[in-house]
Amino acid sequence: MAAPTLARLVYRNVRVNADPATLIILLGLPAMYLIFFGYGFSSLASSGGSGTGYLAFLAPGIMAFQSVMAGTVAGSILWADRRWGMLAQLLVGPFSRVEYLLGIIVTSALFGLGGAVLMLALAVGLLGTTTLTTVGVASMLGAIALGSVLFGGLMLLLAALVKSNNAYNSLQILLIFVVNFASTVFYPLSSGLPIGLKAMFVANPLTYIADAVRHGYAGGFQASDALGFLLLAVETVVLLVLATRAYLRSDVSME
Amino acid sequence: MAAGHDAAGSPAPLAGLRSEDPIVADRIVHSYDGRTRALDGVSFSVRRGEVYGLLGRNGAGKSTLIKAMTTLIAPTGGRLSILGLDPRHDGRRIRERIGVVQQGESFDFSSVQGNLDIYGILWGVPRDERVRRREALLRKFGLTELRARRSFDLSGGQKRRVQVAREFMHDMDLLFLDEPTVGLDVLMRRTLLDSIRDEVRRGLTVVFTTHNLEEADYLCDRVAVIEAGRIVVEDSVAALKRRYSGKKTIDVTADADHAEAFFRALGPALGDAATVTVRGTSATVLTDGAKAGLDAILDVARTTGTSLEWLTVREKTLEDVFLQTVGPEAEERGGADAR
Repeated sequence: MAAPTLARLVYRNVRVNADPATLIILLGLPAMYLIFFGYGFSSLASSGGSGTGYLAFLAPGIMAFQSVMAGTVAGSILWADRRWGMLAQLLVGPFSRVEYLLGIIVTSALFGLGGAVLMLALAVGLLGTTTLTTVGVASMLGAIALGSVLFGGLMLLLAALVKSNNAYNSLQILLIFVVNFASTVFYPLSSGLPIGLKAMFVANPLTYIADAVRHGYAGGFQASDALGFLLLAVETVVLLVLATRAYLRSDVSME
Repeated sequence: MAAGHDAAGSPAPLAGLRSEDPIVADRIVHSYDGRTRALDGVSFSVRRGEVYGLLGRNGAGKSTLIKAMTTLIAPTGGRLSILGLDPRHDGRRIRERIGVVQQGESFDFSSVQGNLDIYGILWGVPRDERVRRREALLRKFGLTELRARRSFDLSGGQKRRVQVAREFMHDMDLLFLDEPTVGLDVLMRRTLLDSIRDEVRRGLTVVFTTHNLEEADYLCDRVAVIEAGRIVVEDSVAALKRRYSGKKTIDVTADADHAEAFFRALGPALGDAATVTVRGTSATVLTDGAKAGLDAILDVARTTGTSLEWLTVREKTLEDVFLQTVGPEAEERGGADAR
């Protein structure tokens, strides 16, 4: 018996995108952040201490960052399918257009979760300790899955709207940079931040994902995380609706 | 929606369109911008188990028609039935029963074998059947040696073979081939055409667009010539040839210095019984009487001082039929002064 349509689309997306170059960028970049920034800033902060204080703070942030990287996979799939003719080919296949988009979104979540688990293993290996609990792990994975879908929707919207390859790549890099560094991935939201930057932190969905993952990494789930999840869910729905509308309007050329 | 059952109360289907046919197009209209019509009242039907050829120049409307029939676009007017289903409401059910080889390249970032495998999986072909089909297709299309190569690294002809082979990984009732032989060498082109013939014998219905009229002649049961979004001629290849059987084709090439004057004088000299299609310093003359046509050409050459570099008389081909149905309008624009 054939697998369900969505499972077939997801299998195809994973198989086509799990090439070494994609995996190096997807996993290698966050791993390098974790190692270089983690040890570098820990040594700066502790000046001769154990050198793992900042690393312990950064590790869950990098796990949250995987949701952004997973989102780029979603945009890349749509972009590549359009560029290499597979979009039109798949749209004359036994799928609906919405199923095709769902396939990308689920693929994005799988990449996000897979990457986060690997970063977790790396962090535990580097730190040598763990305070994981069932609730904490569930919260972490939930936040990362939701975040992957959210950023997947954002990147799909971008891919549907931007027709130039160079413009798409440039915007994607800019977006990753801003989302990444205007969040609590690398540093906490402190009162010392300028008001404009603080507003960017608060408006940035990655802040809520990073906070929830950080709390989960510490073994707990806080009331603020529930509010964060709610906000993320609303933003995710809005972005998915916008991305779907933009994608359905975009021209699908057979030539 | 089958033709003739429009709830909106549209006119009854045109005579000759049979609702049981796999494809029934009834006065199809499509406009991309709301002003110009890419399809302008196209009506035809394709019978079960036949190869139906769509011929026409670039931009004539062939690809738009294919897009409409494969549910990629919804026509802005008219009624379309594919396998008895309405593309507007049953797109997915239609797509489950059709195969499409696009005009442009389309590949997954994978090997040749990987592309066939992935496509089989996407179509839900069971594993054992998938492997059996994959191996058979790799052999049939001469891809066995290339199976481990990335599809993107292949030559144009090799890519085309993969693309066509891939479509046979799944079952279908109706196959759309949009210029499938572009870039293929003679042997592989014949292999492909014969493969299609084999599938047609097993009941497959095929819609085939091509610029190569010899292929249409070899493969198609019926052809339609599309021009400016309309079907200008539709018939069996044999009937089309019969229709013009009394005519001969004369190919003539004039020396460059006198070509313009020569062709300007040639039209009136030949009269209404002949059609002249001019391309640069050459022309194709379609005439009822070869001898009268040759006499007129030689007379005009003498009076205009033109040296004839090439002059032949031959039987009509499908290409001549195409040129006569599509060419004159085009050439009247570009070479009206030659008549």
